[in-house]
Amino acid sequence: MKRILSSAILAAVAGAGVTIPAWAAGDTIRPLTILSRPQASQPQEFQSIQLLAQEWRKLGLDIRVQVMPWEQMSDLVWYQRDKWDMTAWQMVGRPERLDPDELVYNLFHSSTAEKGYNFVGYKNPAYDEIATAQRAETDIEKRRSLVFKAQEMIAADQPIINLVHPRVSYVFNKSVWKESSVTEQAGIGIRNFWTSIGIEPVGEKKDIVLNSADNVNAINPLYISGGTDSWIYELLWDRLLRVGPDGLPRPWAAESYNWVNEKTIDVTLRPDLKWHDGSPVTLEDVIFSFQAPAGEEAPMYKPFVSNIASIEKTGERTLRFQLKQPAAGFLIATLAKINIIPKKVWEPKIAELGSKPENAESYQEPTPMGSGPFKFSRWLKSEEVMLEANPAHFSAPKAARWILRIVPNTEAALGMLKSGEINFLSDYNGDVNVLEQLVASQPQLKLVTTTELGFRYVAVNMRRPPFDDTAFRRALSTAFDRRLIVGAAYRGAAVPGVTMISPAVQAWYNPGSAKMEAGLDKARAILKEAGYTLQGGKLAYPDGKTEALKN
Amino acid sequence: MPGLRTVASKIGQLLFVLWAVATILFLMFRLMPGSPMAAFIDPTFTEEQQQALMRQFGLDRPLWEQYVIFLQNLLQFELGESFFYKESVARLVLQVFPNTLILTITSLILAYAVGILLGAFIAWKRGTWLEAVSIPIVLTTRAAPEFWVGMILLAFFSFELGWFPSGGAISAGAEFEGLIGRIFTRDFLVHLFLPTLTLAVYLHGLPLLLMRSTMIEVLDEDFVTMARMQGFGEWTVVIRHAARNALLPVATAFALGIGYAVAGNVVVETVFSWPGLGRLLVKAVQSRDYPLAQGAFLLIAFVMISMNMLADLLYRLLDPRVVHAG
Repeated sequence: MKRILSSAILAAVAGAGVTIPAWAAGDTIRPLTILSRPQASQPQEFQSIQLLAQEWRKLGLDIRVQVMPWEQMSDLVWYQRDKWDMTAWQMVGRPERLDPDELVYNLFHSSTAEKGYNFVGYKNPAYDEIATAQRAETDIEKRRSLVFKAQEMIAADQPIINLVHPRVSYVFNKSVWKESSVTEQAGIGIRNFWTSIGIEPVGEKKDIVLNSADNVNAINPLYISGGTDSWIYELLWDRLLRVGPDGLPRPWAAESYNWVNEKTIDVTLRPDLKWHDGSPVTLEDVIFSFQAPAGEEAPMYKPFVSNIASIEKTGERTLRFQLKQPAAGFLIATLAKINIIPKKVWEPKIAELGSKPENAESYQEPTPMGSGPFKFSRWLKSEEVMLEANPAHFSAPKAARWILRIVPNTEAALGMLKSGEINFLSDYNGDVNVLEQLVASQPQLKLVTTTELGFRYVAVNMRRPPFDDTAFRRALSTAFDRRLIVGAAYRGAAVPGVTMISPAVQAWYNPGSAKMEAGLDKARAILKEAGYTLQGGKLAYPDGKTEALKN
Repeated sequence: MPGLRTVASKIGQLLFVLWAVATILFLMFRLMPGSPMAAFIDPTFTEEQQQALMRQFGLDRPLWEQYVIFLQNLLQFELGESFFYKESVARLVLQVFPNTLILTITSLILAYAVGILLGAFIAWKRGTWLEAVSIPIVLTTRAAPEFWVGMILLAFFSFELGWFPSGGAISAGAEFEGLIGRIFTRDFLVHLFLPTLTLAVYLHGLPLLLMRSTMIEVLDEDFVTMARMQGFGEWTVVIRHAARNALLPVATAFALGIGYAVAGNVVVETVFSWPGLGRLLVKAVQSRDYPLAQGAFLLIAFVMISMNMLADLLYRLLDPRVVHAG
């Protein structure tokens, strides 16, 4: 009361025509910092952040953009969770993310807020309940309705401000490969496992020659060593299931699988599986493959097998997995992820490593051996990895060899595509218009563009006001038109995004949650309704709220 | 002849410099903002995994303890294991080292052969239009950024004319027998051409200008006048008498050039997708692969300092005046 009186007296003394009573406002909001990676390495991200900062300044906010490389940015965001305001971030598309569990649970469940991927600090018990329930629901229709609900809650609460789902472009040479033999995987694109085994040569050239800008770190079935490395792993080692082109699990090394109840699953192994040395793949090998990561020797794979209570042999070719907790995502997150490895190679190795500080990740087989559709041929560091078709495989590739070239220079990769030095452009980070022009001028090239299941977003730190206020986050998310980002930063090669599930993932995408109003006026209205005011052109907190953090 | 004492003191200096470089490298990479954990951040990255990684990398120990372990390992010639490749640093470096050496040594020889000849020639033609035209051209090529020269050469000879491949050291899937068999294939040499040319264009300026300026000095000296008075032909005077004497500083520059060459050349390697040490190093620094970055830089420092020392000692052999002056 005292404060109101004194404010009123002040206003009267000043005698100015104050339209917004000064006593109804809190402190003005401190300058807010948003982190982005450099323009040189991430031009679209940098451009998006500049556009956002420009729009948000129009709300009366003092927005500062701070640029730093990924190693520094992720260190700050991940390990100093109360020290940053906002950051650009990205979720890349991987086949296993076609199951929504990782995106629904790991990104937003409160249990991962302290040390895991929920670094924005979103804590909503109602959401936790749904995220946990969808995990346990093996009935796909019931699970879908839960995942839909989760998307609606994220759209309403905006713990992350999703910007776009980029469109990824790959090119192949039609004079080498039959167009109809190339498979497009939803949310992933045409560079995928199914294309590698299904692509059919037109004539004499039978080698798939593709490119990557990144080096291959390791070729080791117990080490998750990098995105490019995973392309090799999926071809050398079989898995019980594979993520199909439609994003749903399908039998692979397992002939069939069957949920006995929500915690028990039976798997029947194919009869014709052989290691690359010709010896048969046994049930013991399969059991070993799922048990090996459970110890301390393969820490990266451990989380994917930690839900397995037991595996037992129930027949000549049948296995029974008993789970600790019901898990619908088990099929894709575990059965389609764990590499089936030869026990005779890895059991002695793991025993030997048990007493040493190194683990199984540091053992590089001279000739990596699996049972997959391709066999290892050679690896020249920083140069190329070569695999050759395994004709004895139940799904033998139509191509003869699979040769991955390491090409750090994007323009040179285009030159190679034109000259035929590569016949499949599998990694392109440049301007999409340049690629379109090249393909238009070269009739033998075919471009296929796919909306990614991954997305680019702005993570807001909910531990720090004003981001703890849902209305404030909604206002930020409403203030700009996502089509502006698509057009200006991505040159049209993206679609607007609102929640964590991409429209590319038809099985789980909730179109109803994706309606997002856009415009500064709408954002201002949201802020006004929540009690935010403008003080001398600067946005201030609602009445009574003080600025506790100083930049 | 350099005395035993000189050699011993040189080796002492070498060891001191290496220790200093090792310490600076150790501190530099650890105090730089950013963390090697960045590469592992993923929705399924658990607290347990994070701690396991820190233990595995030895980053859970205090800095001084890490430093002591690092020095102890160094004394046993142990450079450690890369965080990401999970392979010993020495082995990783050795795998790409031949590629780096071939590219840089070939370019150096080309650059010095052309540079020395042209430099001598331009000095001889002092004051003519040839000098007026050639010096600005040399300065321009020397100042031109390597990536630009490389991209222009690529765009013209590879993308447009299709005479040379667009990158790499051999064609996809090309067969070869061992290292020597690989180098002496037509395929390899065709791939080597453009990167070598790019690097040579960049490198040739130094020997050329150095040769030119020493030649000008030497041509003014009494013994040259004496040779002319003796009636030797102009060609004999320039090549046999003047150029041989002008070569000394260029030879030193060449020895040092070899020292620098072991570091590889990040720019040329990246433009031409050449599988060399430079690219490995940049990646190691970017991803905070401390053991790989430290180990590789230390190896490079060792070679450079050794070459420097060798050049110094050789100089004493070649030119006795150095000993008396020093």
